[in-house]
Amino acid sequence: MISILHRKTGTLPPRRLCIQVLRHNPADPASVPHLQPYEIEEAEGMTLFIALNEIRAAQDPSVQFDFVCRAGICGSCAMLIDGRPGLACRTLTRDLGTTITLAPLPFFELIGDLSVNTGKWMRGTAERLQTWIHDATPVAIDTLETPMDPDLAEAIYELDRCIECGCCIAGCGTAQMREDFVGAIGLNKIARFRLDPRDQRSDDDFYELIGDDDGVFGCMSLLGCHDVCPKQLPLQTQIAYLRRKMAVIGFSS
Amino acid sequence: MALIDNNGSHELLDADASGQLVIHAPTTTPARQPRRKSRWPARLDMLQSASGLFLAVFLMAHMFFVSTILISHDAFYTVARFFEGAYFLGKPQPLLVSGVVIVILVIFITHAWLAMRKFPAGYRQYRAFMQHKNSLRHSDTSLWWLQIWTGFALFFMATIHLYDMLMQPALIGPYESADRVWTGNMWPLYLLLLLAAELHASIGLYRLAIKWGWFAAKQPNRYRRRLRWAKHAISAFYITLGLVTLAAYVDLGRAHADRAGERYVPTQQSAPQHPGKH
Amino acid sequence: MEVIHTDVLVIGGGLAGLRAALAARKRGQKVLILSLVPPKRSHSAAAQGGMQASLGNTAKGAGDNEDVHFEDTVRGSDWGADQEVARMFVHTAPKAVRELAAWGVPWNRVEAGPHEVIIDSQRVTLDEPQAAHGLIAARDFGGTKKWRTCYVSDGTGHAMLYAVSDQTVAENIPVHERMEAVSLIHDGVRCYGAIVRNLANGKLLAYVARATCIATGGFGRIYRATTNAVINEGIGAAIALETGVVPLANMEAVQFHPTAIFPAGILVTEGCRGDGGLLRDVDGHRFMPDYEPEKKELASRDVVSRRMEAHIRSGKGASNRFGEHLWLDITLLGEAHINGKLREVKEICQHFLGIDPARHWIPVRPAQHYSMGGIRTDAHGAAYGLRGLFACGEAACWDLHGFNRLGGNSVAETVVAGMIVGEAIADFCATPEGDMHVSTALVRDCWEHESARFADLAASRGTESASALLQRMQTIMSENVGIVRNGEALGAAVEELKTLLLRSWQIGLRSSSPGANPELTTAWRVQKMLKLALCVAHGALQRTESRGAHFRDDYPRRDDAQWLKRTLAYWRDPEQRVPTLEYEALDVRRMELPPGWRGYGARDAIEHPETARRQTEIEQIRARLADADRNAVQQALMPFRHLLPPHLRGPNARLEETA
Ligand SMILES: Cc1cc2nc3c(=O)[nH]c(=O)nc-3n(C[C@H](O)[C@H](O)[C@H](O)COP(=O)(O)OP(=O)(O)OC[C@H]3O[C@@H](n4cnc5c(N)ncnc54)[C@H](O)[C@@H]3O)c2cc1C
Ligand code: HEM
Ligand code: HEM
Ligand code: SF4
Ligand code: F3S
Ligand code: FES
Repeated sequence: MISILHRKTGTLPPRRLCIQVLRHNPADPASVPHLQPYEIEEAEGMTLFIALNEIRAAQDPSVQFDFVCRAGICGSCAMLIDGRPGLACRTLTRDLGTTITLAPLPFFELIGDLSVNTGKWMRGTAERLQTWIHDATPVAIDTLETPMDPDLAEAIYELDRCIECGCCIAGCGTAQMREDFVGAIGLNKIARFRLDPRDQRSDDDFYELIGDDDGVFGCMSLLGCHDVCPKQLPLQTQIAYLRRKMAVIGFSS
Repeated sequence: MALIDNNGSHELLDADASGQLVIHAPTTTPARQPRRKSRWPARLDMLQSASGLFLAVFLMAHMFFVSTILISHDAFYTVARFFEGAYFLGKPQPLLVSGVVIVILVIFITHAWLAMRKFPAGYRQYRAFMQHKNSLRHSDTSLWWLQIWTGFALFFMATIHLYDMLMQPALIGPYESADRVWTGNMWPLYLLLLLAAELHASIGLYRLAIKWGWFAAKQPNRYRRRLRWAKHAISAFYITLGLVTLAAYVDLGRAHADRAGERYVPTQQSAPQHPGKH
Repeated sequence: MEVIHTDVLVIGGGLAGLRAALAARKRGQKVLILSLVPPKRSHSAAAQGGMQASLGNTAKGAGDNEDVHFEDTVRGSDWGADQEVARMFVHTAPKAVRELAAWGVPWNRVEAGPHEVIIDSQRVTLDEPQAAHGLIAARDFGGTKKWRTCYVSDGTGHAMLYAVSDQTVAENIPVHERMEAVSLIHDGVRCYGAIVRNLANGKLLAYVARATCIATGGFGRIYRATTNAVINEGIGAAIALETGVVPLANMEAVQFHPTAIFPAGILVTEGCRGDGGLLRDVDGHRFMPDYEPEKKELASRDVVSRRMEAHIRSGKGASNRFGEHLWLDITLLGEAHINGKLREVKEICQHFLGIDPARHWIPVRPAQHYSMGGIRTDAHGAAYGLRGLFACGEAACWDLHGFNRLGGNSVAETVVAGMIVGEAIADFCATPEGDMHVSTALVRDCWEHESARFADLAASRGTESASALLQRMQTIMSENVGIVRNGEALGAAVEELKTLLLRSWQIGLRSSSPGANPELTTAWRVQKMLKLALCVAHGALQRTESRGAHFRDDYPRRDDAQWLKRTLAYWRDPEQRVPTLEYEALDVRRMELPPGWRGYGARDAIEHPETARRQTEIEQIRARLADADRNAVQQALMPFRHLLPPHLRGPNARLEETA
């Protein structure tokens, strides 16, 4: 059969995986955080999404975790996979060892086990950084749209791709120490709106939002954000760029 | 029964040209107006980088001056006298060196003060960072940790060294320095100071480039690989240079130990007469 | 009991819910949104392809307008759509795209000058006009005459959802996340809000509102293989059904997509086949030419899906631990092409299959993709059966899509319906009709009823496992109520689903953790999903014809004489085990485009007696208005503007028409 040629798996027996989940239910006063191991048999193309659901269906219905799209585009399933933030739904078990340790993203409010409240933090950040197009002119919906350079549109999309997964916050040492730090995601949002000509805000306005040590000047260039971002956003260059622009404002009166 | 709570939702109302009711959304008002944000965070951040850059450049230059001992005793002697202004003022003025030391000291303290803001404040932050660093095992995060510690160490070690230079500006010369290094038992301090200073400075320069986006290339990751390579190269070069130099001082210091305290007299009496006590 | 009051309660934070909330909010209503997940995680984010709107900016879109879009949509629906609604939709879609542009969606833009594209595996050079430079571009999508699909690279839904969500933040609309509406508060006549469960701590709350809008998306998860997100379980539709007075319409109309990777169900774009990818079976044989000698792999979505399923049934499927599938082979396109043009496919293959599609074949199988059916509403989004209840988006059967929706029409529907329905909600609230007199006793009753249900379920010592029932239901649906249907399989499915429904009252829980117990949540939802599954299966069994995505090999012809009508499924008695079906006829005499041939697929529909008469009528009107402009002709054929809110009635500017 030709199809066999196209499969990678040989005749090796499937691996037994030990998946250790950091369990804790804050709603239960008796609960203490602990690592709970689950043994499952690895299957072809198994992702952590499949593995965790199999555990929940067959072994322990009480494990909490969040998946929505299970396709790596919604940002719900970020967790610490062997200590590194990543999207569980698109992580293949075959790329990991036989013992896999899963823990909830640090920094965010814990809901239970692997489930954290990133949404609440993201909404707070959106309000704080006012992440929407600021344009006082009423929207004209019957007339031709304002033209935009095709390259600019693509450049904006490049920064718009953030899925608010929170990996960059979990990967940032500064954020671990200082709760009010806006993080790479916040800075990237500002960079995105700054780039957008439809947003009428000036650098002075942006300085009001991120011109302090909880904003761009708080970033210590640790680059954890850049290295863990599952969408591979150019966080490093964007933060550097913003820092230059905001520094210029610092010398205006 | 008043179950509906409409408080607030109507006072925002207004009618637009089409007769439609609209809310004055934040969209139509300029971004938060009230108190203007202080410009100082920007300035302090720049100052931190500028002071760091200055110190790093100074350190590199200083390493070259100090290492002239490797060329010859006279070379080092000449450099030392040069900084005392012997060649413009007619005679060496060690106070000039003290002046420079004071300037460096001020910048140094400024830098340390600015950088200290970034230290973990308190045990909670310290633990949070440690835990994070250990679980993430991420090179740049670990580098920062190294920088914190080397900076912290420099704070003490460099202060001692600077204090020496401030108080005894005249005692810089092949024998004088070598005696200080060996007979004065300064070499262990210098060894540590060398490692700390060079690591701290090269990491600092690397991070300066990242922080401000200097020498940026199209592909951020390739750019970073290059920078990291440059950083390693700088560390390696200066540490080697420093070690060899230190070894030279130790050598000379041991050889000169029985005559410790004797001032160096250049082979050709070309340099102006030293006004020291000798 | 905690009670929260608001003017408008929007259940669902996807594109449809958010846009409706914005419309109501801009009219001064106090609005509150509920969502299972943070709104930006809603499944709308998954739409990659694009949004249809007849801007006509590109060379391949020249000549496009509302009329062309309308015809494509109605033909696509296999005449199941409500044509007035389709008109409202195509008229508003360009406005929606332009509004989104102003809100920051980085639509891809037209680049003036010549550029190369691949059409039907041929290299073609298109020349974009200078005047169009920087205007919103469009790409090609199945079933459309013009290139009409506006897009943002491969993240259209994401960019749209983020822009709209950010607007709701700007308007200060509160979103209560991780909240699940578990039943509607109603007295059989009017809806007063919903009982809601906090998914983080398991508490029940009452949300009392003058108007309630359900925008909870599709119900793909009643199938085993689906491209839908795991939260697309149809609970919003189910709670409307459980009121006993609100019908779900056309539930049997379910769309399948040919190439979802197996078993994950993640979509890989049609572009793979468009660019020359092939489908192969277990022997590596390219089988599509055997069935469709002309169009081969490029036949329409439902046709390819049907052929693939049939081929698997004939024993030619490859298999792995999870079951049978076929292969999508794009290795012949070459590494350069794949890395450049199909980057996203490459990434999906890497992340989810661990293979390189330039060297390995991709395991694929058709999967459930979209639910045309849902809560039946009128043209303003008001649900049948309960005053004060509205619905929009994929959860609703507004009936834009009939029995098959066109790619790109559904994200467009969400925003357009949101604009229109949100306005209708505001109108409703602004009239005396919107006043509300609700007794606290009713609210308390509803709350206590629901609390008791959860308490009973949590304490149940039954023997059935919720996840086992769920899996069995999904299997039945995929196997018997899938792409190719027939009376026998459907009958068997209905019977087994009925037993599953009975068994679901015997679910026992294994864990009793405090807070939000995920097992309890699943158990509770399974009971609801089984009802939806029964609506689909039973509706499909009764509908003895093939129309759009509903294909029966025992009744392969479209039967307009018998079946030009919408199925309405009611669940009047909580004890009943199959839904009560009623039908709502579509009025041929008022159609702007009477039933005919779709332009593709089978040509042998059984004609409706009125069709010929309406056809002549239309020809007469057209002849009479031969010199009038297209808007006047349209107005004479089927007026619709009066149905739109005044500010959406204006004509849409187009490059050609302004020039
Ligand atoms: C893989 C994929 C690709 C697609 N691509 C395209 C495309 O290219 N073009 C196109 O036009 N269409 C596409 N579609 C279809 C389109 O994306 C959806 O039809 C549309 O986004 C649905 O939007 P919605 O707002 O109605 O629902 P959703 O976006 O699904 O939102 C539903 C909301 O309701 C909430 N909710 C659900 N139940 C409850 C409850 N009980 N209580 C409270 N809240 C609840 C959820 O949290 C969510 O916020 C695609 C679909 C899929 C699956
Ligand atoms: C000769 C001495 C020193 C040199 C050459 C030097 C050099 C530098 C440089 C170039 C930077 C990068 C600046 C930036 O990121 O903006 C830096 C950062 C830093 N320095 Fe120093 N420094 C010296 C002494 C010190 C001392 C004494 C301390 C501590 C007490 C210190 C602590 C730090 C810290 C913590 C940072 C990191 C700041 C950040 O991450 O933003 N340094 N140093
Ligand atoms: C103006 C200020 C300074 C002067 C004049 C000065 C001068 C000298 C001199 C003369 C020596 C040779 C050894 C000796 O004589 O003791 C020396 C060595 C050294 N100095 Fe400085 N120094 C200054 C500032 C600094 C600073 C700020 C640092 C780093 C933080 C530094 C780090 C060192 C080190 C590491 C050595 C040992 C060199 C080696 O190992 O080769 N110095 N310095
Ligand atoms: S920037 Fe990257 S890591 Fe951070 S939230 Fe966005 S997608 Fe996630
Ligand atoms: S990891 Fe953190 S410190 Fe800055 S560069 Fe990234 S935000
Ligand atoms: S579930 Fe959506 S990114 Fe993983």
